[in-house]
Amino acid sequence: MAMPQTEGRPMLLGRLDRFETLIAATAAVIGLCGLFFAGHGFYIKAKAQLAQVLLARSFAAELAGEGPSRPWPWADFTTAARISAPRIGHSAIVLAGANGETLAFGPAWLATTPQPGDEGTAVIAAHRDTHFSWLKDVRPGDRIDVERADGRTMSFVAGQGRVSRWDENGIDIAAHGKHLALATCWPFDSTERGPLRYILDARLVEPEKAAAGLPAS
Amino acid sequence: MFTNNENAARRIRAQRSSSALWIAMTALLATFAATGSLLTTTQLARAETATTATVELSGLVRPNDMNSGALLFPSKELGYFVEAPRLKTDVQIDVSGPIARVKVTQRFQNPSKGWVEGTYVFPLPDDSAVDELRMQIGDRFIEGQIKPREEARQIYEDAKADGKKAALLEQQRPNIFTNQVANIGPGETIVVQIEYQQAVHQSGGEFSLRFPMVVAPRYNPAPIVQSVEFNGGTGFAVTNDPVENRDKIEPPVLDPEKNAKINPVSLTVNLKAGFPLGEVKSPFHDVTLTEPDAQTRLIALKASAVPADRDFELTWKAAAGKTPTAGLFRETVAGRDYLMAFVTPPATQQDNAAPAKREVVFVIDNSGSMSGPSIEQARASLALAISNLKAGDRFNVIRFDDTMTDFFQGLVPASADNRERAIAYVRGLTADGGTEMLPALQAALRNQGPVAQGALRQVVFLTDGAIGNEGQLFGEIDGNRGDARVFTVGIGSAPNTHFMTKAAEFGRGTFTHIGSEDQVAARMGELFGKLEHPAMTDIAATFDQAKADNITPNPMPDLYAGEPVVLTAELPQASSAGKLLITGRTGDQPWRVEMSIDQAAARKGIAKLWARRKIDDLEASGYRVNDPQAIDRQIEAVAMTHHLVSRVTSLVAVDVTATRPKNEPLTDADVPLNLPEGWDFEKVYGEQKPILPSPTGDRDASLPAGTLQQVAMETAEMMAAAPTAKTASLLAKRSVGVNLPQTATPADRHILIGLMMMLIALAAVFWLRLRRASIFRRG
Repeated sequence: MAMPQTEGRPMLLGRLDRFETLIAATAAVIGLCGLFFAGHGFYIKAKAQLAQVLLARSFAAELAGEGPSRPWPWADFTTAARISAPRIGHSAIVLAGANGETLAFGPAWLATTPQPGDEGTAVIAAHRDTHFSWLKDVRPGDRIDVERADGRTMSFVAGQGRVSRWDENGIDIAAHGKHLALATCWPFDSTERGPLRYILDARLVEPEKAAAGLPAS
Repeated sequence: MFTNNENAARRIRAQRSSSALWIAMTALLATFAATGSLLTTTQLARAETATTATVELSGLVRPNDMNSGALLFPSKELGYFVEAPRLKTDVQIDVSGPIARVKVTQRFQNPSKGWVEGTYVFPLPDDSAVDELRMQIGDRFIEGQIKPREEARQIYEDAKADGKKAALLEQQRPNIFTNQVANIGPGETIVVQIEYQQAVHQSGGEFSLRFPMVVAPRYNPAPIVQSVEFNGGTGFAVTNDPVENRDKIEPPVLDPEKNAKINPVSLTVNLKAGFPLGEVKSPFHDVTLTEPDAQTRLIALKASAVPADRDFELTWKAAAGKTPTAGLFRETVAGRDYLMAFVTPPATQQDNAAPAKREVVFVIDNSGSMSGPSIEQARASLALAISNLKAGDRFNVIRFDDTMTDFFQGLVPASADNRERAIAYVRGLTADGGTEMLPALQAALRNQGPVAQGALRQVVFLTDGAIGNEGQLFGEIDGNRGDARVFTVGIGSAPNTHFMTKAAEFGRGTFTHIGSEDQVAARMGELFGKLEHPAMTDIAATFDQAKADNITPNPMPDLYAGEPVVLTAELPQASSAGKLLITGRTGDQPWRVEMSIDQAAARKGIAKLWARRKIDDLEASGYRVNDPQAIDRQIEAVAMTHHLVSRVTSLVAVDVTATRPKNEPLTDADVPLNLPEGWDFEKVYGEQKPILPSPTGDRDASLPAGTLQQVAMETAEMMAAAPTAKTASLLAKRSVGVNLPQTATPADRHILIGLMMMLIALAAVFWLRLRRASIFRRG
């Protein structure tokens, strides 16, 4: 009884029997896998945030009149606009063309839709867990600003949000008037991918009205 | 007392160990649960991607995505198109000596209840001279006229606006053409016939011919058509709702088996080689061969086995000892003589001389488009090439995707050690990322140090050529090549042959195509032969007595072992006698050959072949000359004279008759049609009513009626068709739907799973500690 105590604290991996070795090995594998998964998850988030810094730089250069530039040499897209929600203090650089790659780096303007502020409905989509995590906080009546690559800033006023299927969303890109639809996945805090989308419709505030309304708000 | 104490302690220990066992069991169960949930995640993810993929393929496409001929209708999705159900394709290739004339006939149907404008997109071999377009729309026949591109477009747009049927054939890339057809009525059937010719390719005594019929993978950001209501009183609305549970309907276009059946291709080659034939092979397709005489073969595809997923290739060799080493052909068109000559220089006399030292820069593309068999073939080819280097050679390996690695940072001796290191590196390459070819090319051409005395600098480029900045790359090769020769190796079943042929031409090297794993050894062996034998350089052709206005190609490319000089020329007047003199040099040894022009055999199509190569030469000079307009004018002049479609000329056809009144019923399938003289669409009229199940007939004709009907139905669902001919053109421009992309990342899920797994691992470790502790205490 006294002997093991004099040997001090038991070593974790010293003289394990077969069963224990198996458990230890399994634990190690599971632990590593877990580390990998968590790392991958955090990597996605970090990439999304870091990319925005580079994109902001690229967009500033574009505004300065250097033409559409690639944010980094191997990027397969260009910046299109900056979207911001002043009340809740969020903004992000919007990329042109929505695909898996652009969406990983920022909100994406669907290239098949008109430019924000042009006749029709422009659609901007982003991931619910990164760039559009704030979309749920936008209330009806909030202002949403879109600064386009040509330097013009368009102000939209948010309407009611709604939920619909991704392929039956009722967005009419050739609609009369100037609209903006912001889309992200729904439900917001689900970890599953699904067919449902949260769509926030907004319509353009005509420039003169916006100018008049700005000091008041 | 003591024993009691001991007993109690033992009991406690037993309890402890049993609770430890419980913890272990729980941990194990949790592990299983975690693994299970992981598996379902991946399966879910996989299922999700699979659904998207199938929907994409069965659904919408863009013209650039097409790699086989297809008629595209505007879809409800802006900028996207729906493939018209292809009823039948017939390809008739007539090879006559060095020239192949190809006639492609395809039959399509407008399955919708409205009027549409169709866009027919098709790839052709990159040296093809397209000169004929015929079309049958319903019961109308239209033949194309050659016009300058802008003028042709205007004629077409005017006709379209008037509601007339019209067709416009334009060249998008030298190997991609589009043919637009305006005002196709509901249910109407269209037959398109295109004719082109090309020179038979020859190398190392082997003659070959390719016909592209590949559907390349399409990169589409998941478009599906949805139901959208028109608003704003545009006068027409699309009433069709999207097909319910679309993802459950088996997408017939995706399945290669069904693909072959619903798009049956019949292909026949009438091979008149002009010399006694030896082996005739079709490496990718099963064919039936008949042998009318020693110089002729009739080749037909076995109807049941036509996977339309790779190019058709036919190769032939002369009977032993009968391989022609020279040929001279002529055609007289509009008072001018056109010549085509080929000479294979004798096997190099330098065989006994010590081979020149080589400095080889290997450049391998490991971008995402190469993934799958392509990268495997590229790795195998490159490993073979590296192991084939001689001890005195020097080499380097550069790989690129959107990044690049210069493996040795400069040329190194081809020692066994270096070769092994390079091969190990190449074997470990995986395909991923974008294609940024220019930096790699620059590194290969500029950064490898000066060429050693008496050495041959060679750049071997392995890629599928999936790039868009061809001009920039040609400019780089042309301007910075120095003494280097650029060899391109095309990998995969459908590489961008235009880019690779041109790049090799600018680089004064050759283009090798590797289409499958089992071609690697043979084709690379052929290339090694060329690499190791000094090229025949300074090739020039002159006409003794007769003056040649124009000899193509200009300048003459270098030759490699086994390759013939192939030139075409325009002579100022017909029936000129005289001699054609071709000179060149192999190393220090001059070579010359003379041919009498009056010995030339008459062959059709040489004038067009010349014109096509002349246009190529002019296009190539565009990368050097700073006057694009002058070049455009020259190209236009040549193309107009020879009735060829080019970058600046198009074929346009307008129907003179007024469009059928919209209320009149269509009767096209019931009325037997009389075909005008010289029109042979019969081949694609195997089945008059393909939608009805045909009771008998060959396998081609007995299309799976249900499947075809389904395809037609699905296509009709996705099409944006207009109620009248006039609105069809409006609709082609206008569409209203949009689909939202997937906007959830797996980040949260992965973090959750990751944390859970780490927790489980921690629990297991904790339990182990407990267990050890209890064992130690137990003694």
